[in-house]
Amino acid sequence: MTTKTDSTRRSFLKGGALLAVPLASAVPAAVMADDGLKARLARLEDGAAIRELHQAWLRQINRGTNTGAGDTAALFATLQGAAFDQGVRSIAPDHAGQPDAIEVAADGKSATGRFQCLVGIETAIAQDCTLAQMAHAQGGGFVRRTERCVLNVEYVKASGAWAIARVEFAPA
Amino acid sequence: MPGTPYPKEQMHRIAYTKLSERQIAEKLSPVAVSGPTSASPLSGVFAGKSIRIVTDKGPALSYTFRGTNRLSLAENGGGAAEAGYGALTLGSVAFFSHVIPGTQRGYAAVIDRDTNLATVFELWFSGYKDNREVQREIYYGYVEQPGQAPPKARHVTTNRVEGKGFYWKQDNGAETLEFYPSAAYSNFVELSRLGGELGFCGPSDYIKINDDLYIYTRTECEFSGTFTAYVMDLNRIEQVGVRLGFDANDALEYYVFRGKGEWLGQHAHFEKFGDESGAPVPAAAAGQTPAKGARRVYRPFETMAKMTKAEVDAVCAKHTTAFAPRASGPGASMAGNLGPPTGWLAGKTFTLRYDHAPAMEYRFDDAETLHWRKEGSGNWTKARYQAWESMPGVILFGHLLEGEPNHDGHSIVVDFDEGLVTCFNGYLNTPYFANEAGVKIHFGVIEMEGLIPPKYRRHVLTDEIVGRAVSQNYAPGLTSMHLYTTPYSLSWIIFTGSDAGGLEWSGPARYVKIRNGLYFMYWLEEACNGTLGTILVNFHTMRDVGVGYNCGTNGLNMSAVGAHERLAGQFDVKRFYQVKASGGVA
Repeated sequence: MTTKTDSTRRSFLKGGALLAVPLASAVPAAVMADDGLKARLARLEDGAAIRELHQAWLRQINRGTNTGAGDTAALFATLQGAAFDQGVRSIAPDHAGQPDAIEVAADGKSATGRFQCLVGIETAIAQDCTLAQMAHAQGGGFVRRTERCVLNVEYVKASGAWAIARVEFAPA
Repeated sequence: MPGTPYPKEQMHRIAYTKLSERQIAEKLSPVAVSGPTSASPLSGVFAGKSIRIVTDKGPALSYTFRGTNRLSLAENGGGAAEAGYGALTLGSVAFFSHVIPGTQRGYAAVIDRDTNLATVFELWFSGYKDNREVQREIYYGYVEQPGQAPPKARHVTTNRVEGKGFYWKQDNGAETLEFYPSAAYSNFVELSRLGGELGFCGPSDYIKINDDLYIYTRTECEFSGTFTAYVMDLNRIEQVGVRLGFDANDALEYYVFRGKGEWLGQHAHFEKFGDESGAPVPAAAAGQTPAKGARRVYRPFETMAKMTKAEVDAVCAKHTTAFAPRASGPGASMAGNLGPPTGWLAGKTFTLRYDHAPAMEYRFDDAETLHWRKEGSGNWTKARYQAWESMPGVILFGHLLEGEPNHDGHSIVVDFDEGLVTCFNGYLNTPYFANEAGVKIHFGVIEMEGLIPPKYRRHVLTDEIVGRAVSQNYAPGLTSMHLYTTPYSLSWIIFTGSDAGGLEWSGPARYVKIRNGLYFMYWLEEACNGTLGTILVNFHTMRDVGVGYNCGTNGLNMSAVGAHERLAGQFDVKRFYQVKASGGVA
């Protein structure tokens, strides 16, 4: 299942309305319908949980805490998964790109996310000369750039909670 | 016979005594009682008054002034201490300073009597591993007015002083040129104390009182540790301030002063329009809370490699590199905007006949390989070189001289239209640290088939660019500015992420005129990284190409330099460096 999401209030209400329709017509329904409703509810809950996880991770990145895997490790399934380019300093939605897409596997134990975004990247200048050393000494010595990227994220559900398994930046 | 104005050692060569806390306390004790000296009459502006200065994140200071040189101070409502003080006024501003008896602490305070706003500098010794370096913390606040609500405004750090330069003469006769090319550092030339040969740099504060009045400080970190602060009126070009520290002979200097000056000019600064913020260099690393008095200080002498001749010989034998591939070699950061090299020399042979150095014979095999030998010697030595044609007919090339006992490297400008050559001959095994580069300048002519060189004409040392400020963008994220402060030194300023001037340092330098708008210059990073930097600056194209020569623990390296430049302005300073009939420059 692919759920296209965005962060607007309208889309949230739209999702809620879709959910409300089967609830309203469910009174005489058979067990099958009830199971389908539960499954759909579970998927919606998974989607919401993954979105929240994604937002929590973005908040940490954008707060400037991407100084090592340990800072965001609590959101990841493994420490290895938490390790990625430490030059990333900010991630913002690319509103000119495709909508976010979260796909939850049929068994509900894993999911993937695809997010088009603008990634702020900081690259340290080698301290191979006096000027570069001075730039670092004053807290600088970096080259900053913004790149359009697709963020491909893999998620796993363990002990009832979603965690990030792997993050990959790909050119948009 | 009259003496010269020059010191036995320049500031960066003085081995300042590591004063103990006890020595400092003993020297401070008398002035805590007497107060600072002053060549001008002290002001009685505070005499007989009691004031309470309230600061936002610092102490509340209750003062009672008795006459022009005695006060009592209670900090944060504590017990009162008696001390000597000195005060001076400048328009609406009253400035005073004192040391607290029995401590190594004191204050300097600036009060604007029109607004009752106050800026207080707490000053102390023995706060850094070098006890003599004065530490400062700045508190912003106001003078309490009974029955009145505290003012909301404060004096603020600013970049509005950035780019200015002044000549100052204090009431005690001390003359300086002072440049503020950074919002965090400054550059000063001691005309009367040191003869005005070199400019030096120190971390500085710039604080706005109003559009006319500003507070400036500097601490001579890496040198004597002396602290200077003054209020300056940019229109009247007058100052009142204080100097506190220990000189090269460990004598305590503690005086308040009044001074007058001349405006020398204003160069551009590069922050976005509307950005008037000061203190562009954060006092502590991101995420860390700065300690009291913290600020970023460039300490090149502390961090540089200091090697012996044996160590230099060993490292040169092991690791010597000339023009390594740009992306990975040492010094590659400074070659990001290097123009394309020229292959014009390939296949050529000529002799560079220097007036006061052995002639050098050259065979250029291709665009990157040459053979050289000193005239009269039989053996040719192969060397890797690179060359750039900065202006039609003018080529800069550089190479190391393998086998020379001092590991020489030549950075050479040859003008084939004029038949002239200038060589900056870098070498190691210099007196202070063997890995610190020295330089000799060789002027001469090109002897080449079909080229008749001049008999008398030579490239010449020049002061034409003294006073200019020129920015260099070497690569994305790596931009500096040269300020040619004296005929014998330049300083370099590193820009911050907001393009404010940040850390700054300086070194001996000389400038050679090659053609109109084309200058060949060097600077030595003495008591710094030991590098010899050489660049050929083309003011028509606003590009420079150059050759860096450095020896450190990683070996001897010659590397390419290339930058896009911008002319930032010029100070009117050349007149201060003319030798007078009576001797000296001041």
